[in-house]
Amino acid sequence: MAMTSQDNPIEPFLRSFDHVSRQLAEASAAGKFSYQGRVLDSAKRLMKQPGGLAALEARAAELDRAGIFSGTDWAVPAGLVPRLVGNTLASSDSRMVVLECLNLLRFLAVVRGEHSQPGLPLEHARHFLTQVLALNLDRILGAAHEAARVNAGELDPVVDQLLQRLLEAVGPEGILGRLVDEVWRILRQRPLQVEHVKSMILQIAIALDEGQNGLSASETRLGADRLISALFGPTDLCREDPGLEVYRQRLESADTGSLQAEATGMARAMHDTGLVSDYHAEFLRFILDSAHTHLLPAALGLSSTGLDSLRCYQPLVQQLIDEAVRPGTAQSVLGIALMLERGILYSPPIAPSLWRLLGTALTPACEEILSIAFGGQVTARQRLVAGVMMLLGQPLGIGQGNNPTCQAARALSMWALNDPDYLLWLLAQVTSKDCIVMHFEGQPLDSSLLQAGLAQQAPLDADPVSVLLVPHLDRVYAEMGRRVAGRGEDPHRWINPELHGWWVGRAFHIAVDVATGLLKDHEAFIREFHTAYHPLHNGNEPVIHPQPAGIAVTDSSGAFVGWHAISIIRVALDQSGGMRVYFFNPNNDSGQDWGHGIVVSTHGNGERLGEASLPFDQFASRLYIFHDDGLPAAMTLPVEDAQVARICEMAQQSWASNRF
Amino acid sequence: MEAKDPNKGYIAVLGWSLRCIDALEKFDRRYLIVAPDWAAEYAEQHDIPFISWDFERLNDRSYELATKLKEMGVDVAIPLFEETVEWAGAVNSVLLDNPRLLGQSMLFRDKSLMKRRAQLGGIRVGIFEEAMDHSDVIRFLKRVNQTLLKLDGDPNDPIHFKAFDKAGCLGHRVIRTPDDVAAIADEEFPALLESHLDGWEFAVEAWIKDRKIQFLNISEYVSLGYSVFVPATPELEKWRPRIEQQIEKLIEVFDIDFGFIHPEYFVTNDGTMYFGEVAYRPPGFNVFELLERAYGFNAYQALVLAFDPKATQEELDAFFPEPVKDAMGHAGCFGVYPRRRVVSDLSIPPETENDPYFEFHELSPPHEQKVTKRTAFGTHWGLVYFFGEDPHRLRDLLKAQEDLDYYV
Repeated sequence: MAMTSQDNPIEPFLRSFDHVSRQLAEASAAGKFSYQGRVLDSAKRLMKQPGGLAALEARAAELDRAGIFSGTDWAVPAGLVPRLVGNTLASSDSRMVVLECLNLLRFLAVVRGEHSQPGLPLEHARHFLTQVLALNLDRILGAAHEAARVNAGELDPVVDQLLQRLLEAVGPEGILGRLVDEVWRILRQRPLQVEHVKSMILQIAIALDEGQNGLSASETRLGADRLISALFGPTDLCREDPGLEVYRQRLESADTGSLQAEATGMARAMHDTGLVSDYHAEFLRFILDSAHTHLLPAALGLSSTGLDSLRCYQPLVQQLIDEAVRPGTAQSVLGIALMLERGILYSPPIAPSLWRLLGTALTPACEEILSIAFGGQVTARQRLVAGVMMLLGQPLGIGQGNNPTCQAARALSMWALNDPDYLLWLLAQVTSKDCIVMHFEGQPLDSSLLQAGLAQQAPLDADPVSVLLVPHLDRVYAEMGRRVAGRGEDPHRWINPELHGWWVGRAFHIAVDVATGLLKDHEAFIREFHTAYHPLHNGNEPVIHPQPAGIAVTDSSGAFVGWHAISIIRVALDQSGGMRVYFFNPNNDSGQDWGHGIVVSTHGNGERLGEASLPFDQFASRLYIFHDDGLPAAMTLPVEDAQVARICEMAQQSWASNRF
Repeated sequence: MEAKDPNKGYIAVLGWSLRCIDALEKFDRRYLIVAPDWAAEYAEQHDIPFISWDFERLNDRSYELATKLKEMGVDVAIPLFEETVEWAGAVNSVLLDNPRLLGQSMLFRDKSLMKRRAQLGGIRVGIFEEAMDHSDVIRFLKRVNQTLLKLDGDPNDPIHFKAFDKAGCLGHRVIRTPDDVAAIADEEFPALLESHLDGWEFAVEAWIKDRKIQFLNISEYVSLGYSVFVPATPELEKWRPRIEQQIEKLIEVFDIDFGFIHPEYFVTNDGTMYFGEVAYRPPGFNVFELLERAYGFNAYQALVLAFDPKATQEELDAFFPEPVKDAMGHAGCFGVYPRRRVVSDLSIPPETENDPYFEFHELSPPHEQKVTKRTAFGTHWGLVYFFGEDPHRLRDLLKAQEDLDYYV
């Protein structure tokens, strides 16, 4: 009988690990998953031994090839989200923790050039690990809060070791810098939801405070300081984050000059970052309470447009502030300021609609769902009014959360942008009778009588308006889909105009044959898109209303991911003279790499807050559905054949590679 | 998937086992899985050759299955579970044109018939009787203890109560008192009653081709119903020549040309072997997995070779290792039963998890908090696997697991 040397203490663990991972590697596709559990158990044991992590690190690529991730959520590494890693590592299911560790080791192997994975280029892997490190700085710094320490799992020390190992391999340089850049990149899109951004800023603050692990990043100090101060101490009187009570006392004894400085300081920090400090909310409440309302324009940072709006509707605005602006709903300050700047209050139905909102008593169901989603820090109506302010101020800041409801999020953003009184009407229906009624081809659809749509439950990780409206919109959308299911054509031809409004073009263009999924008249489709939207080909006609469009989303390797709903906001020349499509993506972060050099820009190419943009041809290459008003253009210029061919080729190299 | 050789046998497997399918995917024989409906979806998703069959329905449809398989060109059917042994016998009697195979499979399915056949053939068995109701059990308990010259009031020697046609330890009770008898449910009858044999219980796995033992493994039980390991300790292995003789006798008495048998024996201190029972299908407690761990050969593929009429002796000789000598170590497993009445979590005892012999477990978290009281040797909640060089250390480790809580 062959005896194995027992000199090395991890030898027996390694031997059994190698045995089970070989079983996994040799298993047929049908038997693979039955071996994954034992490999994970065995890996867990190995990890806990001294030297075990290094042994696993050396085997990471091999394990990936053996199929440890096949059939799991980790199967496609390019699609993994750094934000989710921290939670998984703290899971109570040890197999999940181990799988995530093996996944990080796989990324590490890619970074070292020891492993390659289709769809996972080295740069992406490095970026991913950097993000993971940045988001888990507290663990690396050992600054985890007490709750985590009390509940420490048996694998926690190993996970900490692993993060240290990643830090050594990726290098501490730039982690903070990248995190700061990342926060700025997200904030430039002015999302409605900033909780995750705030938690990242907290991580930065902790790291700078600790100043260890080579993480002090002087070059990014300034960018970081602006973020931290915007949240925790935007002005002189709250610079050292004294707490709301102390701040209020200081305001009460401050002179006029100081108050003026507070007002402009608050507004500056808010418009600079898109973040609103709780001190800012406290300041607004103070000036309303103490008859210093003349400071309101400065505290909101209003331009002459905004100021005029405020003057015309001062009682309404003060009422909105009184209802919506509190510590905990401070972001609504930015919403109010931007709403005033948009001038939408001048549209006759808006102000009365907002007065109706302020007088609404919410149904118990609405109150319950809002308190489940946001807690009970403020009342449900206060939360809702704050949410409405944010959405009306930043129509392109809405995101779908982690829900399959891009259609509903896009619709909300379009209405907030283009049809705000209709949005407020829908909201009034839900808050008073827990349903919305929409019409489809003359037939009323009552959302309370319809089956569930794409989302199985109400989205809880979204903004307040979405939390209330999306479940209803989703059901109506799904029902419209059911009603046209037999027609043999893409349902959006009929759904889009009926769901959103008369202003969605009824001329419908689609690049694929619905029955076969193959490209159909793609060249003609591209030409028509030019004559409908390209100002140099359509007689310089601008986009009048935001128009829904369908995108074939591809990953960073250009491989097809899925169909996605966006809206085209405008088409215009950028500052360097290139024609760009500016669009809204209801996905939470528009800055995406769609492969083959197509990287969606969110800043620096003429985008307004919340817009994403691509050069016209790149956008066209990922487009598969658009609407057109059907009016003949004043003057059309033909599109060059070479341009059309080039765009078609870009599509065929990526999402359409097996569709022609 | 391994390329299939059309000159070799075409195998039908009766029963669904992922491990078996995985082995067949990696083997050069064409195969077909015959299993219940619920497996159809998985089979289709993974391109597994599959026909669905309801084995619970009456056996008179076996001819239909046999004809179907014959039309497809299948050479032989292999039973994976106790419930499919008769089906395989019936099917093979058609496929191989040998009506005797059906009768043979009936012997393997009925513990009482099996014992009589063994006895008739001159194989030593304990005292046994069929029981139709509770009074038969009481009478047997009394007669056995009378034979042992026990007086009234002496503690009884136990007897064993077994279902006729269940695999392994299912429905197996140890009876000591009339109270134990009262605890038996009516639907457990008829059953087989056996006297208790003091001795060392072990099992054998034997692959047979052309009435010849191709590979013989001895599985040592540490505690019946709890744990087993292979190869056995040298103390048990020293009986191997005697055990081989016993198996040859079985082959003769049961008229076994080919296939796989899994008999159980007792060996008493003086070396007398008592036959317990024999099954014509892979053993429980995942002994196949243990064999693969210890020797490196795939026991399911071995099964195919033993059944395939087109397999050659050279192929078999090349496939099997030399028993004991070629083993890389000893592999064992332990069947876990919750020890507490109320459990909420699965928690591997640290002393087990940190033991270098421990490999992995296949236990699932508890679905119900309350543990049903065990009356018979029931089904365990999953297996824990061990591997190491020293059979005695392994045996003691397996024994020690009986006192540990896996569910808390």
